[in-house]
Amino acid sequence: MKWLLDLLKGKWLGHPLHPILAHVPMAMWPAALIFDLLSQWQIGGNAIVRLSFYAIVFGLATAVLAAPTGLVDWSGIKKEKPAWKIGLYHMALNLFVTLLFAVNLGLRWQTFREASEVDRVPLLLSAVGTLILIGSAYLGGRMVYEYGISVARMSKKKWRKLAEAGGANLPSE
Amino acid sequence: MLKDLLEGKPLRHPIHPMLVHFPIGLFLLSFLVDLASLACPDAPNLLRGSFYAMLLGITTALVAAMPGFVDYSDIRRDHPGKVTAARHMILNLVVVTIYGINLWVRSSTLSDPKISLLPLLLSIIGIGLLSVSGYLGGRLVYDEGIAVGRHKRRTPTPQDTLHFSIEHAARDGEAAFVPVPEAEHLRNGETLRIEIDKEVMTIARIDNQLYAFQEFCTHRFGPLSEGSFHGFNVQCPWHNSCFDIRTGKVTKGPAKVDLKTFKIEIRDRKVGVLLRKAHDQKT
Repeated sequence: MKWLLDLLKGKWLGHPLHPILAHVPMAMWPAALIFDLLSQWQIGGNAIVRLSFYAIVFGLATAVLAAPTGLVDWSGIKKEKPAWKIGLYHMALNLFVTLLFAVNLGLRWQTFREASEVDRVPLLLSAVGTLILIGSAYLGGRMVYEYGISVARMSKKKWRKLAEAGGANLPSE
Repeated sequence: MLKDLLEGKPLRHPIHPMLVHFPIGLFLLSFLVDLASLACPDAPNLLRGSFYAMLLGITTALVAAMPGFVDYSDIRRDHPGKVTAARHMILNLVVVTIYGINLWVRSSTLSDPKISLLPLLLSIIGIGLLSVSGYLGGRLVYDEGIAVGRHKRRTPTPQDTLHFSIEHAARDGEAAFVPVPEAEHLRNGETLRIEIDKEVMTIARIDNQLYAFQEFCTHRFGPLSEGSFHGFNVQCPWHNSCFDIRTGKVTKGPAKVDLKTFKIEIRDRKVGVLLRKAHDQKT
């Protein structure tokens, strides 16, 4: 069990895994919205409709992989910390967004092969999904840049050495 | 200020790591669509789609570069992450150049059913280098703490460490007075990062008084010279531990151990740090 947790936390890589994987849905779904809009403005034709479809698929596949890594990172945060609650909102919003894009994908399944324009409803879903995703991703970023989640977790020893060499008071190991 | 904007201070979140999602995701997408064109050459329009993904990737990469340069230039010159940041930057410039060539090479073959060897090869090289570069960027945040908590600081952070030696300092029995002329020019809320014979410390001016304390937080050893000040408390940029800079006492965790503090004195109109002999320091 521990090997699985370490795998999901990215210890083998020396870098937390969740923020790496999160890049893909975070890029793909807003990109899908851009492609949808381009298709509405008659730019790109079927190529762009297909591209939007593939982007949503790639985003969904990676989001499914990113979810367990995020859950493991979150479970390591103490409940009384402000980052715990932010993590909870981040998770709930991400689940909702993933669901929205799954529905979105289902709606275009029948038409993406020939259509030269994305329908209104999937376009709307892309827009709503992207907005919520941006909010959620911002919360994820706040966990790192405001509360230091996963920061200096794997490099703690290196910094301890530097602090020791710099004559600092240190906690006992 | 433009620098503060590009560092994302109003958003309380750095801009560069927000924008880099797009080139990373889109270059990957373009590569996957290239591969799809090899697997199913009957599917139409794949290469055109791959081209659009790449075009948007290059555009967003160029936009992300601007806040990236600012973030790089704001890293302290002797920070262990500075070299990593330089590598990250050079690799990214190489990657964007390769994708620029890639885009140009494939622009004339958008109607082909399958991707040809040269652009595919360029994509593979691009993805490889981008993975390394993205990884280095992540290490800058998660190992080096670059841009973590930076928005909490209102004043500029030290661009370098100043080095001094006790050797030529005026002796006073067990203590040595080491003048730090730069400290006189500090404004409220500003800091110096200085090193006196391996002893690394922060000098800060708060409420028109100078205070000196150890540079490294006692939790995960974050840089207090880049911390923010709340009254007489310094807050570590990384995990928000607070210390009273007058006494070194922890006022808010996660840190549990107090800071070492140093005495600031003025002698012959010179500001400096009063240090006990090196071997006495560790008590």
